[in-house]
Amino acid sequence: MARRIRTRFRCALLALLLVPASRAQDAGARPTDHEQEIVSHLIEQIKQLQQQEHDLQERIKILEAKQAQASPAGEVALASPAATQQRTEPPASPPMPTELPRDWHEVGGVQFRGFGEVDYQALDQRKPELGTGGFVPGSAGNFYTDDFGLFLTARLTNKASVLAEIIFEEGNAQSYTVDLRRMLLKYDYNDHLKVSFGRYQTNIGYYNWAFRSAAWLQTTADRPLVMQYASKGGLLPTQAVGLSVTGAVPSGKWGLNYVAEYGSSDTTRPDLNGDGFVTDENNGNHVNVGLFLRPDVAPGLQIGSSYYHDQISNNILYASGAQVPPPPGSLGPSARYGQAIVNGYVVYVAHGIEFLNEGFLIRQTLIGGSLHFDMPAFYSQLSKQLGPLRPFVRYQYVNANVNPNSILDDVGLRFGPSFGARYDFKQYMAFTAQLDHTVRGGQADLNGLQLQWAFTF
Amino acid sequence: MGVKSIATLLLLGLAMFALASRAAAQADDMAVVVSSGNPATTISLVDLRKIFAGAKRSWPGGQPIKLITRGPGCVERFALLRLLAMSESEYKQYWTAQVFRGDADSEPLTVPSVGMQVEALKIFPGGISLVDVRDVKPGMKVIKVDGRQPGGAGYPVH
Repeated sequence: MARRIRTRFRCALLALLLVPASRAQDAGARPTDHEQEIVSHLIEQIKQLQQQEHDLQERIKILEAKQAQASPAGEVALASPAATQQRTEPPASPPMPTELPRDWHEVGGVQFRGFGEVDYQALDQRKPELGTGGFVPGSAGNFYTDDFGLFLTARLTNKASVLAEIIFEEGNAQSYTVDLRRMLLKYDYNDHLKVSFGRYQTNIGYYNWAFRSAAWLQTTADRPLVMQYASKGGLLPTQAVGLSVTGAVPSGKWGLNYVAEYGSSDTTRPDLNGDGFVTDENNGNHVNVGLFLRPDVAPGLQIGSSYYHDQISNNILYASGAQVPPPPGSLGPSARYGQAIVNGYVVYVAHGIEFLNEGFLIRQTLIGGSLHFDMPAFYSQLSKQLGPLRPFVRYQYVNANVNPNSILDDVGLRFGPSFGARYDFKQYMAFTAQLDHTVRGGQADLNGLQLQWAFTF
Repeated sequence: MGVKSIATLLLLGLAMFALASRAAAQADDMAVVVSSGNPATTISLVDLRKIFAGAKRSWPGGQPIKLITRGPGCVERFALLRLLAMSESEYKQYWTAQVFRGDADSEPLTVPSVGMQVEALKIFPGGISLVDVRDVKPGMKVIKVDGRQPGGAGYPVH
């Protein structure tokens, strides 16, 4: 307002100067009565504007004095002259509303993202094993698309939101199945209490939390076997329906966080060894609790551990769903096992370095008997970003018991290294080349090449 | 010209250089600004990093934090990347991963001007942003970082 008045004042002054100047060209000409009237009028306007400006300056001084008295003690006064100048500007905005005047859903809308991949794999399998994601078991090499995902999020209220991850997964002969891999109603009360209901990825370990379905997120072309999705032959119950709670524990510089989950992780997993069977584990409700540290002194370092427990059966089915007769000496599908999975990990992801180390101990104990199987597994992965290139190396190890009563007898002993590199084209597209060598207990080693184009949009 | 005169001139030159360096450093300071209704008056550098990395997502009162950032190429963006020790592409990938993990609903709101930063801070009561100290506007509340104010000695956000 004051600025506008000042501008008008200057315009009037300019006009006052210009009118006599233009008339001065008519040498000796005296101003007419009409011109004198204009000049008088302009002088009058200038006087009015000067008075208005003076009044406004006075009002600003009064308002500033009041604001200085009422301003909170903690508000920071800027030290720089420029900023100080800014603070002498009159307050233009009204007090802030404490709540949004609009619906959050309208503000945020539905956030939509997608991801996908195109793969080529060559594998020297003499005896075909399980093929997933479109890879044809026993083929010397073929293209496939594995997971194509649509990822949706939306805010419902200030603290509640919805997340959905819909996966189109390639199966045999270019057939596709739809999997609602995650569907969560989330409520973040604060940093210490974040609750999710729905279908989630179990927080067993680090990898399942850090690397969701999108291949683009991963450094390597595939997940470590122990962290592979159960629907693709992985060992662990990677998904569940239920309640998940997580948050930060007040712990100062230690950055302690917790996670607790309770739900149904009922899992049907195809056998890895290519026998064509699937194991319906009939998992009971599971409990999973974990703690992890993110110390302030070492940003990027995360150290954690988790404990998972449920009950499972060794219920072997044909792909059609019909029951497979239990092999001689087997306890059959009625036997129940308590399954405990203990995990510990140390990861460092910062300054372009990714160093992941996770260990697992899977213990399956016959309920009402002494029979039990202890199955250790681990993987270690190291990579370094060098411009757009990220070379990596990974070593993994799984030692599952081959006793017919073991639910993971189809996995057996498998270990070996993988190495390769990921090349990022801009931010949202990457090409990964990976070589694998897998030693299998009692079978020929496997050598494979994976090429992958992964993208997100 | 005597030795004394030369020494005096050198000392004067050094003093002027030091003053100019100090002024330049102050000019590069990035103010941490929040909505004027936000009761926060100070923040630690560690917490600031956590906030802009999406690891800390609510204010002590429970108000959700809304990150408001400037686009690539702005001085505020460079300061943000320095704060997080990331490159531009790492930053984008990091936030895409945060969204896919479900740790964030969306990437930080990116606005193209200081005026829109002011508007965003009005719309989101839990908003926080970095702004060049020379561009601080009414409606932005500047908070201290590690007890230091922008323009002061030892201010850590540049």
